[in-house]
Amino acid sequence: MAVLTDAERFAELVVEVGANVQEGQEVEILADFETEEAVRAIAGAAYRRGARYVDVWWWDALVKRERLLHAREETLAYVPPEPGSRLLRLGEERGCRMWIVGNPQPDALEGVDPERAGRDLMPRLKESTEVVTAQTTNWCIASWPTPGWARQVFPELEPTVAFERLRAELAHVTRLDEEDPSAAWRARVAELKAAAARLNERRFDALRFRGPGTDLTIGLFGSSSWRAGSFERVDGVESVVNLPTEEVFTTPDPARVDGVVRATKPLELAGSLIDGIAVRFEGGRAVQIDADSNADVLRSVAAKDDGAARLGEVAIVDGSGRIDALGTVFWNTLLDENAASHIALGGSYDFVVEDETERARANQSEIHVDFMIGSPEVEVDGITRDGESVPVLRRGAWQI
Amino acid sequence: MPDRSRDLERLAELLVGFGANVQPGQILAVTAYHDMAEAVRAVARAGYRHGARYVDVFWWDMFVKRARLELADEETLDYVPPWIGQRLRWLADERAARISLTGSDSTIFEGIDPARMGRDLLPYVKEVPVVVNERLTNWTAGPSPNPRWAQRVHPDLPPEEALEKLWEEIVHVCRLDTDDPVGAWRERMRAIVASADRMSERSFDAIHLSGPGTDLTVGLLPSHRWLGADFTTIDGRTHYPNIPTEEIFTTPDPERVDGHVRATMPLEVYGSFMSGIRIEFAGGRATKIDADEGADALRSIVAKDGADRLGEIALVDGEGRIGPLGTVFFETLLDENAASHIALGNAYTFPLEDEADQARANRSPVHVDFMIGSPEVDVDGITREGDRVPVLRGGAWQF
Repeated sequence: MAVLTDAERFAELVVEVGANVQEGQEVEILADFETEEAVRAIAGAAYRRGARYVDVWWWDALVKRERLLHAREETLAYVPPEPGSRLLRLGEERGCRMWIVGNPQPDALEGVDPERAGRDLMPRLKESTEVVTAQTTNWCIASWPTPGWARQVFPELEPTVAFERLRAELAHVTRLDEEDPSAAWRARVAELKAAAARLNERRFDALRFRGPGTDLTIGLFGSSSWRAGSFERVDGVESVVNLPTEEVFTTPDPARVDGVVRATKPLELAGSLIDGIAVRFEGGRAVQIDADSNADVLRSVAAKDDGAARLGEVAIVDGSGRIDALGTVFWNTLLDENAASHIALGGSYDFVVEDETERARANQSEIHVDFMIGSPEVEVDGITRDGESVPVLRRGAWQI
Repeated sequence: MPDRSRDLERLAELLVGFGANVQPGQILAVTAYHDMAEAVRAVARAGYRHGARYVDVFWWDMFVKRARLELADEETLDYVPPWIGQRLRWLADERAARISLTGSDSTIFEGIDPARMGRDLLPYVKEVPVVVNERLTNWTAGPSPNPRWAQRVHPDLPPEEALEKLWEEIVHVCRLDTDDPVGAWRERMRAIVASADRMSERSFDAIHLSGPGTDLTVGLLPSHRWLGADFTTIDGRTHYPNIPTEEIFTTPDPERVDGHVRATMPLEVYGSFMSGIRIEFAGGRATKIDADEGADALRSIVAKDGADRLGEIALVDGEGRIGPLGTVFFETLLDENAASHIALGNAYTFPLEDEADQARANRSPVHVDFMIGSPEVDVDGITREGDRVPVLRGGAWQF
């Protein structure tokens, strides 16, 4: 048997367990520049599985930079219709989507007016939230190391050492260092689903997060369920939508969020880095947003539409995941959101809400911005319908 | 490796401001190979500076295509994702500007079964000629030097030198080494269009080419006009579809081509290399085809419908900058502007004014240009009375 390259092992994992490519499917890959080795291996693996066509939408952050620097102000909110209609069609055809994150140009938006940056969220598309909610595609987001990203994550290291370290850490958190990465992920997904099932049994009325700078109560719907690990397409095709994934999440009540919360990790948003986020909620709305850097980007995103200042997700990450243990800030939501418990402003996965009246109240927005609020110092309690407090997470360990 | 950023800026400005002639508020669509990132960013910058509303890049990755040709199920290879044609439709409806960057290395597909290759023509889609004929978009194509292409053009040089040499050549042929490249091209286009008009005025009955290995008469149709490559959209926007462009061209009579011709440069067609091509014509048909290299590949192309008759004749004078370099660029955009050429196969009908003539223009699924001009090849016009009038001598216009 031929020895597979790292890219080929990664490609097999993403194609088989992650996106779970089906015979005859169209596959659309949104790919950062400099992930060619992985993307071409994925194309090969997908064709071997019988994909009908593999379409790569290459994304170059430096072309976007030119727009933000030079385009006329009034054109910045313009989104070309083509990528969105392409996604909706892919959904109708029950296609497969992947996003290969390489973050090759972390400084792409340096010197760009944050106000302008907040107006152009490409390559994020509102249609991608639509197809996720409609559950019409099997999909997967995964990451691949690039030199630029390595410099950002390990600025103190020599470039080649930094790259090697990032490569090794990504391989570790993606469990490519296991003999059988696919089997390792099937086992981890089963653990996460068990934790979700225990939370579902309790049917808490709210969650309360307490820690340095944080005392936040998040109301939960009576009929919303906790989910983890994998998603099912409407016709039952399963995909592990994030590789790695370590979270157990649900859709909160967007009208019952109160208190203050301080982010425990910096946030990368549409190319801007936002550090030291502090948000105050009243009656579900984020009424005050502060940050040590680029607060305006977050404020401008939170003002996008009615739902952008309310929560669409709450997720718990326990201490047995592989990401937080590294102590690395990856400046990337896929990885950082799986390092710690988090909440998201904006759109929700309303399919986790079973009751129709409640589902109609699930938050709607064209944005979805995750930020981390968990750490070993942050305690999580469940509040029962009778008002009792039940410990859920202490120093990262499940209490239920 | 010298810094080419200034040349990139000038090339981008030439393509945006002159070639495609991007207008404020327009969408600018860019088609580029995956390894042309620097050039695309420069084009995007120039586009936004000219007021583009949005620059939409369609990146094409030959290695992903190779994965398909190697591994995909046979019956899926004809599949074309509908969005590519729909995107072109959207661009046409938006009256967008379009820029294609060229300069690829077809050796990426070495070893692929030609029958499988022939079934997947992407990124080409059938909507391309439709949108071109509708004249709704202002567009251009221009070269973008990159390492793989450079290695193909200059295989004997080390990679850095090959790229440097290719850059020097592209700077020269795109007239980026002049103080004002856009001004230089405006002047060159005026000269080209003036030559085309003088040739049209004469309304020759035929063109005769003679030189080493060449004695060929190409009949012209009564209502033919000679054209330079400057186009106008239905909204009246001028654009220059090829940068560089050096040719004037018309559509010949496919039934009146006689004599023999020797190609003055090698060429690459659908991935096959051909050199020393010699063709005999009788009554318009290519009756005998020889070559030092690639004769069989050429014969198999010529066996296709209409491919044994001419669809184009083009003249390039000695002021053109490509031919004197003697470089084969393996890119039609550059190679066909190197020297006077003829094309086997399909014809444009727009150089013909009468419908009766248009009906006679050659039809074929292929169009293969090959170079037959050089300073040693004399070009004469033959009048309807049978008089012979010198047209090009040593590459210089004679009237």
